[in-house]
Amino acid sequence: MTVLASVSLATFLVASLAATQFRSQPLPPSNRVARDEALRRSVTQLEDQNRALKARVQSLQRAVKTGEDESARRSSAAQELKAQVDDQRTIAGLTALHGPGLTLLLHDGVDPNDAGDRSLGWTVHYQDLQDIVDLLWANGAEAVAVNGQRIVPSSSFHYAGVNILVNNGSRISGPYTVTALGDPSALAGGVGDPDQLAELKSRNRIYGLGLSWVKATRTSVPSYDSTFLVKYAQPVS
Amino acid sequence: MRSQSAEQTARGQRLIIVSLIGIALGFLLVLQLRSQATVAATLAAQDDTSIALLINDLNKANNQLLQQGADLSQQETQLRQALSSGGSDAQAIQKELTTLQLVNGEIPVHGPGLTIHMQGGIMDFELQDVLNSLRQASGEAFSVNSYRVTSSTPIISKGNSLLVGGHSIGGTLVLDVIGDPEQLGPAADLAVTSLQTRVQIVIQRSADLAITEVVTPHPLIYGQLGR
Repeated sequence: MTVLASVSLATFLVASLAATQFRSQPLPPSNRVARDEALRRSVTQLEDQNRALKARVQSLQRAVKTGEDESARRSSAAQELKAQVDDQRTIAGLTALHGPGLTLLLHDGVDPNDAGDRSLGWTVHYQDLQDIVDLLWANGAEAVAVNGQRIVPSSSFHYAGVNILVNNGSRISGPYTVTALGDPSALAGGVGDPDQLAELKSRNRIYGLGLSWVKATRTSVPSYDSTFLVKYAQPVS
Repeated sequence: MRSQSAEQTARGQRLIIVSLIGIALGFLLVLQLRSQATVAATLAAQDDTSIALLINDLNKANNQLLQQGADLSQQETQLRQALSSGGSDAQAIQKELTTLQLVNGEIPVHGPGLTIHMQGGIMDFELQDVLNSLRQASGEAFSVNSYRVTSSTPIISKGNSLLVGGHSIGGTLVLDVIGDPEQLGPAADLAVTSLQTRVQIVIQRSADLAITEVVTPHPLIYGQLGR
């Protein structure tokens, strides 16, 4: 029994070492690894900073709102302006909303591992999200959010390498959930129209890229987690 | 003698089986530990170019957030000072109102920017791609053939027609954008590259461009305040 246990232990250790070696071989030299780790640490630190800055902006927004509310209580002129500001904030996406609408789900399909197919058609691209959001606006959406990020007048989707970014450096990754408030039937009708999102739907068939939607009697979108910086455009006096 | 030999064979077989199980377990254990480490760090799977671009974008976004924080802090201080002196600061509220109306496309604006002339058949997604790129490059106000455009303006192709906010765009498409000329110029050059093979494009820089068209706000019918 002792021999059996010793042999078992020895083979276990040898196999572990072999597996470690097998997995470690493709790794680059240590200075490269250290450099990569430093880069990734920078991203983590910048994302932490991004979250902290957004929290500070939100806190200041609350403080400004409190000051405006107090001003409105003291002056009828300020009260009138404050009511207009509140309306504009709602239009701009600075207020959370709820109501009926549509929830659309999108996720990567299956890599065909075909050397002749370099289209990356099985992955979700930022343009796909952009097309979906545009289609929802075109079908009467009153508010839209993607993975909890409210789409506002200054929103843009873009790539940073393999990452999809929206709204002040917010990195979003699949699966993607697009939420829209509006007439559920009109929104679903727009998305279901065979002439719309035709390319995305063909990739759904070819690569199994996930695309589905469901009407909702009640759904919600969060408020924009930042504010607007206008530096160049000035009102025409 | 025969039973001793059989016992040795059986022991040998047990050893082989146990050894095989040991090898399999060891291999699986290491794979599992290393897979968990990979899952824990999603960034680890990304190439250096992606990471570098991400760092660049995060730096840019954080700088904008710092600027936003500074603006809000100043606004809050003004409001507090006005309140502590017994008054109210209607001017600060007016300033915020103007900014929001500008962002929502509800007031005429002017400023430095670009005018892009595009002659040829433009599809809805092509125009959206250009607008998306210009927004990313800090574009602050847009109009297409004298119709004010915001991110929620419907842009759709119907047959050979391009509809912007329900208006048919025929002939030359003229896109005006106001924003940082330093950023808008290169972004516009890049955004129209893929179109230039079949669309004639002219980009004009302007020190002071006016966009006088405005968007009419639509009241909420389905959306209600609160989560």
